[in-house]
Amino acid sequence: MTSTLHRETLENAAFRAGYGALLVFMLLPLLVVVVTSFSASGRVAFPPDSFSFVWYVDFFDSTQWLDAFTNSIVIGVGTALLATLLGVLGAFGQELETDSVVGSVVAPVVLIPLLIPPVILGITLLLYFNEVGLRGSYASIILAHTLWATPLVYFVMRSVFSRFDWQQLDAAHDLGAGPVRSFVHVVLPNVKHGIFVGALLAFIISLQEFVMALFLSTPGTETIPVLAWTEIRQALDPMVSVVSTFLILISVGAIIVAAIATNLEWVSKQLS
Amino acid sequence: MSEITLHELEKQYGETTAVEDVSVEIEDGELLCLLGPSGSGKSTTLRMIAGLETPTSGEISINGDDVTDDPAYERTTSTVFQDWALFPHKTVRENVEFGLKMRGVPADEREQRAESMLERVQMTGYGEDDPTNLSGGQKQRVALARSLAVNPDVLLLDEPLSNLDKRLREDMQIELREIHEDLDETFVHVTHDQDEAFTLADRIGIMDQGQLVQVGDPDEVYENPKNQFIESFLGDTNFVDARVTRTTDDAVYVDTDLGTELVLPTDTEPAVDEGTALTLSLRPEILSIDQPSADGGTAADDASEQQLATDGSSRTAVTGTVENVIYRGSTVRYSADIDGTSMFAERTDATTGTLSAGEQIRLEWNGADVLAFREDGTRVSL
Repeated sequence: MTSTLHRETLENAAFRAGYGALLVFMLLPLLVVVVTSFSASGRVAFPPDSFSFVWYVDFFDSTQWLDAFTNSIVIGVGTALLATLLGVLGAFGQELETDSVVGSVVAPVVLIPLLIPPVILGITLLLYFNEVGLRGSYASIILAHTLWATPLVYFVMRSVFSRFDWQQLDAAHDLGAGPVRSFVHVVLPNVKHGIFVGALLAFIISLQEFVMALFLSTPGTETIPVLAWTEIRQALDPMVSVVSTFLILISVGAIIVAAIATNLEWVSKQLS
Repeated sequence: MSEITLHELEKQYGETTAVEDVSVEIEDGELLCLLGPSGSGKSTTLRMIAGLETPTSGEISINGDDVTDDPAYERTTSTVFQDWALFPHKTVRENVEFGLKMRGVPADEREQRAESMLERVQMTGYGEDDPTNLSGGQKQRVALARSLAVNPDVLLLDEPLSNLDKRLREDMQIELREIHEDLDETFVHVTHDQDEAFTLADRIGIMDQGQLVQVGDPDEVYENPKNQFIESFLGDTNFVDARVTRTTDDAVYVDTDLGTELVLPTDTEPAVDEGTALTLSLRPEILSIDQPSADGGTAADDASEQQLATDGSSRTAVTGTVENVIYRGSTVRYSADIDGTSMFAERTDATTGTLSAGEQIRLEWNGADVLAFREDGTRVSL
């Protein structure tokens, strides 16, 4: 009995060590990116010869970068709103229509955009948006990113709704709440954390998406990944590291916000 | 005025028929229990009255208005659900106020009404509590308060007591009964528990395989069941296979595996032919238990005891061996082997002369108390 336990502890320790090593190996490049952003020289080298904030100062002086930053935020927020609306309603509607034909085709249809290579999607959408006159607008990139973000929100919401007690919806109807009011008063408060997480996910997807944005953006709507790529083609300087550091910070920040938001209620319950 | 009329109600899910041809008039102020095993369509029927399911065909009217196509939120019914379905993100008071809020009742009036409802269900002081922290019995009370708060014409109860333990369930049955008498509203209560139905109901509607088999007063459905399903569902009984050997003007004589011919006295000319296979039901309460005389009962003794009296009763007795004795608290149940057929009878514990396994036992009954059913389950009127 003791020896079995001992072996189990050893195996656990070995597994954890291996898992940790793999994780560190995969995350190390992120550290390299952050460190190189503080380089004083004009080339990307690790470790840098000397440290300074010179590239950060340059970033905040550059209207080009700041515009790209604004574009990314606008497109990210737009994508988050649209993808969340579509994903939540799609998943909710499917729960109500589990037996119907419409319900059974929703999941595969929502999934299709994820299965098409982004290069193909980018070219196709470019042609399509040219036809309908959306070229060069924020809307074109928001719609493209929504194609990718909606399935993710949708699957997050499917899992959230699967834990929802649907009898509550019956109870709301029974007590006189129509479809809209029962959704607002009963469904929404139960799934708001899931919706928030889905929206953050959509935002991050949009923030990092490069291929479709490359095809669809014009100088006025260039996002950070697109500008970074253009810049790298000319010179690989630590500015790219600075921008990457900001992207990493935003993503990590979003995850922390999501964790806090979903746990706030739990925390408040523990305190009371 | 809150009478409900169901007319040829039917509900199909794809190929499956959940409810078939249910017609019943539920009177104003009545407490009707829909009783049946799981899958008998009783909950589906209730949900159709609530408006939570749409009937495939048929009509539902409440107070004379056809509400068949009205959604749940436009009906004057209110449901207490099996799992209570309290809103976990709202406080107890917010739960109780919800229906009033949806009806646009001002906040202070809502609060007042919620408080008085919580008082009625003995949950005063729990208004600010999180319903997820309440016990099952408390949740049940809150759910009841929430449904009563909207002052429904009809209260629908979908097995709300089935998740409670026995003691609490019995307390709640009595409380429900009192609330019903207080409010004088129409209640429809769904349950699979016959004790609950008998405790609560003004009338019982028995459902089986989607059909409403019989509706009647509790004593009527128990004593005068329409078919063998009802007889077997309402309490325990001994079913004995029999075959008609001969009929006379005032009795049916049947052959059974009990080793003796039985006489079933009839009021009218019996509606069975010679050779018809029957199933007899001998409820434990019609069987009286005795110890046979020292020399043991013989076939001759039994035959001599089997006489058709002029008042339409007939005493019949059989003897056998006690197989086992089960103490069930207030009663003792004896299982006996009667000439190869197993039968059981009950005695209250106080009865003297306790029998033990292996001893001889004599069961006696009045033939007029025996019910007989045909092979298709229909009752033979005797």
